[in-house]
Amino acid sequence: MSREWELGTIRTEQVWKRFKADQQRMLLRDRVEQMARKLRGGRGEDWRWALRDINLHIEPGESVGLIGSNGSGKSTLLKMLTRVMYPYAGVIDVRGRIGALIEIRAGIHPDLTGRENIYLFGALLGLKRREVAGRFDDIVEFARLGGAIDRQVKFYSSGMQMRLGFAVAAYLEPHVLLVDEVLAVGDAVFQQRCLDRMREVAEQGTTIVFVSHDLPAVQSICRRGIWLEQGTVRVDAGIKDALAGYRDSIEAQSEASTRTDEPLQLLKHAIRGDGRENLTTDEQMTVELTLAGDYRGDATLHLGVSEGTSSPIFQISHEVRLNGEERQIACVIPRLPVPRGRYTLWAGVYSIGKTDGGTLMSWHSVGQFDVFGPMLDTPPRAVVLAAPVFVPHQWEE
Amino acid sequence: MGGQRAQVVDERDSQTETRAGLAAGPPPDLVFKRRLRPLQVAQELWGARELVRALAERDLRARYKQAVLGFAWAVLTPLALCAIFTLVFHRAVKIETGDVPYPLFAYVGLIVWQFFSNTMNQGAVSLANNLSLLNKVYCPREVFPLATMLVASVDMLIGIGVLGILFLATWTAPAATFLWVLPLVVVQLAFTYGVALVLAVAVVYLRDVRHLLPIITQMGVFATPVAYPLDRIPLQLQEIYCGINPLGAVIEGYRRALLYGQAPDLRLTLIAAASAAVYLVGGYLVFKKLETGIADVA
Repeated sequence: MSREWELGTIRTEQVWKRFKADQQRMLLRDRVEQMARKLRGGRGEDWRWALRDINLHIEPGESVGLIGSNGSGKSTLLKMLTRVMYPYAGVIDVRGRIGALIEIRAGIHPDLTGRENIYLFGALLGLKRREVAGRFDDIVEFARLGGAIDRQVKFYSSGMQMRLGFAVAAYLEPHVLLVDEVLAVGDAVFQQRCLDRMREVAEQGTTIVFVSHDLPAVQSICRRGIWLEQGTVRVDAGIKDALAGYRDSIEAQSEASTRTDEPLQLLKHAIRGDGRENLTTDEQMTVELTLAGDYRGDATLHLGVSEGTSSPIFQISHEVRLNGEERQIACVIPRLPVPRGRYTLWAGVYSIGKTDGGTLMSWHSVGQFDVFGPMLDTPPRAVVLAAPVFVPHQWEE
Repeated sequence: MGGQRAQVVDERDSQTETRAGLAAGPPPDLVFKRRLRPLQVAQELWGARELVRALAERDLRARYKQAVLGFAWAVLTPLALCAIFTLVFHRAVKIETGDVPYPLFAYVGLIVWQFFSNTMNQGAVSLANNLSLLNKVYCPREVFPLATMLVASVDMLIGIGVLGILFLATWTAPAATFLWVLPLVVVQLAFTYGVALVLAVAVVYLRDVRHLLPIITQMGVFATPVAYPLDRIPLQLQEIYCGINPLGAVIEGYRRALLYGQAPDLRLTLIAAASAAVYLVGGYLVFKKLETGIADVA
């Protein structure tokens, strides 16, 4: 080692991790079978690489978003950073106290009171009793427990139990804060407070690694993005670039998985602005679609625009009567309500009158388009925009 | 190695290319090996003392919050066993205990045995019961069996308090050689912790071990000189026996020191001490070796 790394540095060098491919039970007879197989010269165990050759260097104070689809190795990497899991090969070095903003409800002892549990958690996370006592009021305030603090935890609602776990971790004041999908649980208010807290510790110079599928939340906290794919680092760049790449790949997958055996097909599509190719915020957008298929009857055509997910920013629909021939439909949006950026057009056709909502053409991404125009005003840190929408406005003083 | 940032933007497009670009596995010299530095391990354990205390406190509080009789159970269990042993071994089998009252004789053995069996039974499941926690928070894992031993120690202290009362009731004073107890306690703790460590990690990997525990407990209380003196074991086998089960020498030593006013048999005690050291160090190494995989299998 050439120099002492500063507290808060995360370094991984050529880290590999593998798991057994076959689901194993923790029983003696399985072990005996396995041994017998090995002795008879059969194949040993099947291994599957979860992480392959991960090299990262994260400086103190950096906030890094770890993104990637399910099974890409995000949580495994995070577990190895917390030292809960050990790598198969390579070096992992995390300097300083590690805090993990994770759900540890399972570790709460139901027979103990909230107060006793807070001290227990504190000890578990490496805090001295005195240190927990010093932050006790903050913790209770963050968890919004109030008078319930001296009640046994088994009488808490599940939300209260969860908040209790987070609150202790949130006030640990670590050098490195690891956050795994906290926002998937808890109500909206609590999610916002978790984000606020993360922003606070980030400003205090804590290194943050944030794993989430909630891409806007990641964008609101992190400056750097690492996109994992099948256990390798696909992109390691600024958060915007990493997210853009990841979103593109989600859309590509969605397009690839479109079925061709559906009653209706989208033959052609065109997206253009007012009299020219470019689209501009708050100006006209025209979408032309050509549908073909055997279906005859009434149907509803849905169009949507999204930013990298299948949840659209807005959605519009139109009833059409199809007669089994090719059909051209144009939709004009006079004032496009999205700011500068890259967006995806989605489309789907569903039959009318059927209660099961018979799918004629399933909801899929049609294509991407760029919008020129004003950038969206930057929201305060830790404020998560659900979707970018341009709202014409003027300020008066 | 400098402080360069690994900000490599990978432009590879297809996943197949990504896969082909990587070797099938890491170079063998990179394979992670757990290195145990005794000093570092000791430091870490010392740093976790607060946690051990908190875990033990949790178990104690949780255990006695539900029980009406509370801490009285720590006394009632050995006393009840003591009564049964007195009936069976003293009255029926007629075990000879010299001029020491049999209940006192048996009780000394029972305190040691209760401590061992409590630590073993609770310690064995201490990791398995906390897996959800172990998978999320790092701490030196050996604190979990250690905390169960601490809980058992509280029970033992209460038991020792009752021993004092028994001394009063039987009008026997503890012998002047009672300071010999101190080295024997060390042997007892080392052996008990070593066994608990191995069982704790074994239960995580092999759930079957759980079912072994009651058998060990049931057989152990008779295989160990709890109800009878050590000299019931043939003289030529005593050394081997104490090598396998140091508790034999420990209980015998306690009885000599506390009840008979003699120094413990030095040879047997040394054998037991060496054996306990092997149990402790071996158990610790096994524990640390297997500990690295706990998150993978759980």
